[in-house]
Amino acid sequence: MDEGMDKTRLEEEAFELISYIIVSARNLLHEPARYGPIRLVDAASRLIGILVQHGLASGRLEEIRKRIEEGRLTGMGDEEERKSFLESLVLHLVEEVGPGLD
Amino acid sequence: MEVMEAIKSRRSIRKFTGQPVERETILKLLEAAVWAPSAGNGQTWRFVAVTDEKMVRKIKMFSPGLLGEPAAVIVIAQDMALVKRKGGQTGPESITKMDSAMAAQNILLAARAMSLGTCVIASFHPQAVGRLVKLPENILPHLLVSVGHPAKEPPPPPRLFEEIIWWEVYDG
Repeated sequence: MDEGMDKTRLEEEAFELISYIIVSARNLLHEPARYGPIRLVDAASRLIGILVQHGLASGRLEEIRKRIEEGRLTGMGDEEERKSFLESLVLHLVEEVGPGLD
Repeated sequence: MEVMEAIKSRRSIRKFTGQPVERETILKLLEAAVWAPSAGNGQTWRFVAVTDEKMVRKIKMFSPGLLGEPAAVIVIAQDMALVKRKGGQTGPESITKMDSAMAAQNILLAARAMSLGTCVIASFHPQAVGRLVKLPENILPHLLVSVGHPAKEPPPPPRLFEEIIWWEVYDG
């Protein structure tokens, strides 16, 4: 794919993601509160998906996406499961960042 | 496939293979939908089957509950002008939503019997989706049903019979 086409495609995919986020914000005004975390995590996964498509993702981002996809099917059932799943994601991010100054 | 088997093995599918679904197959699902019961046999529902990949992507942009890449999306809508004429006050407020839900369930079970995956989506922006599929103002979308070949089937959540079913009188 040449650079111009790739930029156009990237803009289209970003537009789709932005629409998803804005419509989610609108709908969450009347939807169950537990949908909020699901939408945010899904947006993160979609963003990584776009970066992967354009060769801009890293191993660590793909790992986060993998964890989100796995957790989405099994870890979002009840409140405790959701909490545990999201907590494990946060702790994984901390591990990735590492303690202290580089 | 036996009806009970279809009922018990149906799952909400949020990951699809990307394999297309023939228009004839979608028509069978719509046939199942229109054989659902409706209040006063009103049949005030309207269906738009979206199979074009670009259109599916557009609908997805305005439907946060629509996950995965389905081969098709069925918009289940109601002709609210007709509902008002036929259904008095309860029609627009509640009954047509039940009619839409019963039509949706028929689609899900027919799809399951054909080894297709589906998911009912209520989380979408009705006006935006209505504009995308060019619905007139009096036709209001109630539900979306995504349709495709399932890539992954989630495990069945438990059903708590003893906590929800009573005979003759409620004794909870």
